[in-house]
Amino acid sequence: MTKKGQHVVPNGGKWSVKTAGASRASSTHKTQAEAIKAGTQRAKKEGTELYVHGRDGRIRERNSYGHDPHPPKG
Amino acid sequence: MPPPFERSVFVNCPFDPEFAPILQAICFCVANLGFRPRLAPENADNAAARLDRIIELVRGSKFGIHDLSRCKSTAANEYARMNMPFELGIDHACRRYGGGQMETKMILVLERTRYDYQKALSDISGWDIQVHGEDHQKAVRRVRDWLVDRAGAEAIGAAKVLGEYAAFQEWYWKRELATGADEDDIKEYPTNLILRAMHDWIDAGKPV
Repeated sequence: MTKKGQHVVPNGGKWSVKTAGASRASSTHKTQAEAIKAGTQRAKKEGTELYVHGRDGRIRERNSYGHDPHPPKG
Repeated sequence: MPPPFERSVFVNCPFDPEFAPILQAICFCVANLGFRPRLAPENADNAAARLDRIIELVRGSKFGIHDLSRCKSTAANEYARMNMPFELGIDHACRRYGGGQMETKMILVLERTRYDYQKALSDISGWDIQVHGEDHQKAVRRVRDWLVDRAGAEAIGAAKVLGEYAAFQEWYWKRELATGADEDDIKEYPTNLILRAMHDWIDAGKPV
């Protein structure tokens, strides 16, 4: 079974870390940078991907911390 | 074969790249709640006139979501965008004069800031008019609430819809990467292809 990715998403004026499909945030932060830091730790622990969304809600960046058949460029 | 009238939602929104994130979030919300978003580009048969295509979508959709947030010009000498209010008028006329099931049609109007419509289209006072402030999360909440209230959609919470939107995007990125696309390709896909992928994801049982 594929592990669910971690997502850094806008949440009102703040930024949250959410597991894919979840309605509740794992954590919420004042800045996107803080949320990315928390999300990265979670993704590493879970051995999965971290998806960073823009303020518009769409994925703008992806980082893999598990077995990734399609590793991000660069 | 077109989707059934009772489950079809005509989405009358701007198609410019700046609005695409809000349009895509609205489409996801509609599709995820079990309805079929109907967009003008979906039946882009060059043989049919654009207006005829729009009328066909309006007549085939019980529900209409009309976003008027681009009707206001943003710079001097820029023309206001008139297509959205024009298509809203077609939808309203279809409900008023279409007869039969057309009388059951329902309309939601979205705008950027509260009471913008009063300055440009005060005839619609008293309609279902909601504000999204150009925020995709607010747009999802407004559309979700309206579909639950007026269309009998399952009352899935807006936060759940947004969580599933993230799950869909993750699935979509993985699928497209597996087909040989790169990340820049995926970011530039047009809304009608993303909408098709939303239906694929739902048909596959909403995998996470």
